[in-house]
Amino acid sequence: MNEANRKPAWGGKLEQRKFGRKASVLLTAGISAALLFLSLPFFDWIHLRNISALFGKLGISRETASTLYQSYSVFSLLSFVRNSGIGALGLYSMILLLLLAGVWYLHIVYIWRALHNRFQDSDGKSELRLYVFGKAAMLLTILLIIGSYGFVLYANRFFGMTGFGASPLLAVEFVGALAAYLVIKKLEAAERIRCHEHGLVKEFRKNWVLFLMLLPVGVFFLVNSYLPMVGIYFAFVNFNFTDGLWASPFVGLKNFEFLFQSQMGRLIRNTVLYNVVFILLGNVLQIFFAVLVSQMTLKWFKKVGQTLIFMPYFVSFVLLKVIVYSLLEYQCGAINNMIRSGGGTPIDFYNTPVYWPFLITLFHMWKSVGYGMVVYLATIMGIDGELYEAAKVDGANIFQRIRYIMLPQLKPTFVILLIYSLGGIMRGNFELFYQTVGNNGLLYEVTDILDTYVYRITIGQPLSIGLGSAAGLFQSIFGFVVVLITNWAIRRKEAEYALF
Amino acid sequence: MRRRAQESVIMNNRQKKNKIKLSGSDITFYVIAYFFVGTAAVICVLPFLLIVSGSFTDNGMVMREGYSLLPKVFSLDAYATIFRNPASILQAYKMTIYYTVMGTATGLFVTTLTAYVLSRKEFKYRNVVSFLLYFTTIFGGGMIPWYLLYANVLHLKGTTFVIWFPGITGTFLIILMRTFISGSVPDAITESAKIDGAGQFTVFWRIVLPVLKPGLATVGLFLALGYWNDWYRSSLFSTSSSTYELQFYLSNMLNSTTALKDLAIGTTATIADLPTQSVKMAMAVVVTGPVLLFYPFVQKYFVSGITIGAVKG
Repeated sequence: MNEANRKPAWGGKLEQRKFGRKASVLLTAGISAALLFLSLPFFDWIHLRNISALFGKLGISRETASTLYQSYSVFSLLSFVRNSGIGALGLYSMILLLLLAGVWYLHIVYIWRALHNRFQDSDGKSELRLYVFGKAAMLLTILLIIGSYGFVLYANRFFGMTGFGASPLLAVEFVGALAAYLVIKKLEAAERIRCHEHGLVKEFRKNWVLFLMLLPVGVFFLVNSYLPMVGIYFAFVNFNFTDGLWASPFVGLKNFEFLFQSQMGRLIRNTVLYNVVFILLGNVLQIFFAVLVSQMTLKWFKKVGQTLIFMPYFVSFVLLKVIVYSLLEYQCGAINNMIRSGGGTPIDFYNTPVYWPFLITLFHMWKSVGYGMVVYLATIMGIDGELYEAAKVDGANIFQRIRYIMLPQLKPTFVILLIYSLGGIMRGNFELFYQTVGNNGLLYEVTDILDTYVYRITIGQPLSIGLGSAAGLFQSIFGFVVVLITNWAIRRKEAEYALF
Repeated sequence: MRRRAQESVIMNNRQKKNKIKLSGSDITFYVIAYFFVGTAAVICVLPFLLIVSGSFTDNGMVMREGYSLLPKVFSLDAYATIFRNPASILQAYKMTIYYTVMGTATGLFVTTLTAYVLSRKEFKYRNVVSFLLYFTTIFGGGMIPWYLLYANVLHLKGTTFVIWFPGITGTFLIILMRTFISGSVPDAITESAKIDGAGQFTVFWRIVLPVLKPGLATVGLFLALGYWNDWYRSSLFSTSSSTYELQFYLSNMLNSTTALKDLAIGTTATIADLPTQSVKMAMAVVVTGPVLLFYPFVQKYFVSGITIGAVKG
């Protein structure tokens, strides 16, 4: 009843257009859902036609053969590759799997948004964004399907036979995705005209100078950050020199299993514990000194104090190594020198692990408190001076002013620094640990962190590349997830502190 | 009567205190502040003194009595030893200056261009680009794939390029520069220049760059400091000592003279012939000297950089 009242009768051209849009979006969302459904693990995309011939080629024994299926989805493909131990196929199916993850994400977002879109003409550009997701989802699906056909061709050529075949499902999906793509594209074009928006091509033609200016940084980040991400694959292979990087046998999660059975416990414990102490103690000291320095009245003392506390930040970690050496060396280190002249027995620091957690924390504070202090000082400078004056007039003493005015204003900075550091909680300060401890195996129990472990592998143990990459990947994923979770939690509680 | 007099004295005292504005809690605070900041400053400086003093101490003295804050027996032997045969350290100096100049110049160019584009409101994809930059700070392939890409895929191991290229810019510096640009160049100016027919590059070159000196100085100094203090890329990519960075040269020397000393202990008792201990300290002074010499003059740029970065989050 109510519904009928709100909806005017059809006939207005605008309403008709709206209805058309709504119907087409729901149709494509339906296709989206169907594609999603068809990519579930129990729909197999790739069949094995000539099993016995293939097993003969692979040299797979009867026992292994019994664990293999006759047809594979993108998920189970990895189990085939793992059993056959062929690296290049493993890489191929990993890429397919990653594509599939992207396809799922985009389809789910598209369906969700399609169902929640209100299709109001006044309502800004939300519809355009919906179409962007839809187009991306369909394009990626098409790419995945072409990739799967490619896998069949590639695998057949690889074995020199016709053992693999694509399921007819693939053709159905291809047609569906293509049709949906065309529909969305048409919708998008109409919507663009309405919003006076233009697409990438036109934008490029208009602002090509700006795009050109981004070229150097694009090359840099591509080479330095994005291309290495492909190498995540090394975490899943058992590297050997004869097969090389891309063709070494694919071993699934074995590297991770091995790591967690052997040293991962120690590495994670050290990395996380040091970081927790560094973050907590570091922030406390930084805030402490920033507050003290900010309230000092002697200009010269303030300046000299800040300059000197900031100074260790500027020297390299190699110099820290020299300092540590000159302080702690057994024969001529300054500390043992003092102990001796006091009549005590010198301490053999480099062979006694007990002292190192404290020493490393001390050195880290020495080097990093100045920087953090400047960060907090910047925030303190930004506080409105009238607040202090008002508090002073009201009779608040200096401790109360700090407690009730300054510290609350430092909270946002503290929270942001905390999120940043939480994201890096699995990332140790490599230079600090490597330069103070070096390759001193006696101290590894309390000083070895993930980063130093990975560095040692990179430098000297190429055969453990798989293990090192696995440790690095673990670090990355863990940090990534922690950032997402903390940011999500903070956004729920106090949105203005969130990073994104 | 007496009590009243006492009270008035107390009142007087209070008024006096109010005049110079120091209450009891103020005094407590200042005592705490000067004590702790003073102590921290001393702790931060002492290690440097230890090294400088060690470099000027007679080596035999160091071996017998250890390092101390003031040289017990003054000697220039360590410096003489270094400069008697200066070819290798000069080479490392030369290379480090080369890396620093190349990296900082290229880096400033790339960083400023990117920051300029990201500061343009008419650039529709600036949020996408910012996200792509930010993403690299929260997810990465890890060190081994990174190393293998440069060493085995691009075959750059042993070149000088691979030592300075990976450090030319970073997300933090780009964001910092963008903040500098939007702070020093009002949109109205670039808009009016564009109406007068200036292209994007002209606006960048003629209008933005000339007023960007503080930003260029700050970002440039961050880059230069990074290059001067780097040892890690040399440790991964240098195949011959002729391409060593200064810090790596020092780090290497620390290890190898330790080895030398161990060797000497094993065979003869003439360790004192080589001033092994004081040479290490002298080398550290020579390597770190430039940074500490410049530090007082450039400190303000770093502080302003951190301040601007901190304000933006």
